[in-house]
Amino acid sequence: MIDKQFLIDFESGIKEIYEAGKISAPIHLSGGNENELIEIFQEVDKDDWVFSSWRNHYHALLHGIPADKLEDMIVRGKSMSLYSKKPKFYSSSIVAGIIPIAVGTAKAQKLNGSKNKTWCFIGDMTFETGIFYEAHKYVRNHDLPLQFVVEDNGLSTNTPTDKTWGGSRDIPEDIIYYKYEREYPHHGTGNWILF
Amino acid sequence: MKYKDELIRSMEWLSEKKNTIFIGQSVLYSGNAIYNTLNTLPEEKRIELPVFEEIQMGMSTGMALEGLVPVSCFPRFDFLLRCMDSLVNHLDKMQEMTEYNLIPKVIIRTSIGAVSPLHGGVQHTQDYTQVMKDILNEVNVVLLNEPKEIFPAFERAYYRQGSTLLIEWGDYYNEK
Repeated sequence: MIDKQFLIDFESGIKEIYEAGKISAPIHLSGGNENELIEIFQEVDKDDWVFSSWRNHYHALLHGIPADKLEDMIVRGKSMSLYSKKPKFYSSSIVAGIIPIAVGTAKAQKLNGSKNKTWCFIGDMTFETGIFYEAHKYVRNHDLPLQFVVEDNGLSTNTPTDKTWGGSRDIPEDIIYYKYEREYPHHGTGNWILF
Repeated sequence: MKYKDELIRSMEWLSEKKNTIFIGQSVLYSGNAIYNTLNTLPEEKRIELPVFEEIQMGMSTGMALEGLVPVSCFPRFDFLLRCMDSLVNHLDKMQEMTEYNLIPKVIIRTSIGAVSPLHGGVQHTQDYTQVMKDILNEVNVVLLNEPKEIFPAFERAYYRQGSTLLIEWGDYYNEK
């Protein structure tokens, strides 16, 4: 069972490796949302699909990708595109890119009569995109087994989401939404290089 | 057989496969020429989608990850451009990004709009075949010029690993 300290320690370990110059690719460390994610992942079945973005280490760990395998992938420069065939996990570093794919796995799960579902973790700026609006409408109206989770740290890279949109909007009742303050910078650790 | 008949034969052959599903616009309702190559297929194999090309392409990718083989229909090449992120940044890159562990198989159909007897204008008749060949690394791009090429091309698309974009000529539906 993964607890809060395990998650924090994992990212601290990655931070050290990164600052030692042993990862020659960008990393986006997780932090500040351990409690929320541990609670959410209690509902995620091991055979569910989980889709994530560039900030994906916690999602990957909590969905069952072994820490040593995960660390190996990150060191090999795969932090921004972590994946796993089993458990089913895919991440993309293009804003909103995972949303349509998650719609598809959920559609197939329903067509195939599967009891499993799809989880799609997105940030606050992705939540405001038109493609989220379309996908959410389709998923809701067709009753697809897709659970959106919006992780709102108020920022897209360093751009303030609400300020650029000129305000916020109502949160649909059928999505999981939580606010948090990120522990690390958008990418890197703040102590080495930018990309 | 003629061009359109070969397309119909190919679609009927694909529809006999248990894992195929036909999705897109004008797959269940008339409105575009592509419908006339699909209307003999069982209705339960066809899912009409809203006009949301970006989601359609990503949705096809996701369905493929769950073991289906979507035949994803975009009635015109011009419309297909609206799904470029899902096509180029995701479907086409997924194999490399996942170190060849996730290899979705999507069969994509599109058509270069006909110019005769009605000319659809510059937004409905473009041929972006070379653009697609240049921009796609993993998705195989096939231009269907002759009737005899059609069935083997769809057969290959079904049996090969990975995805295929098959491009038809709208004018040939009547000419060849």
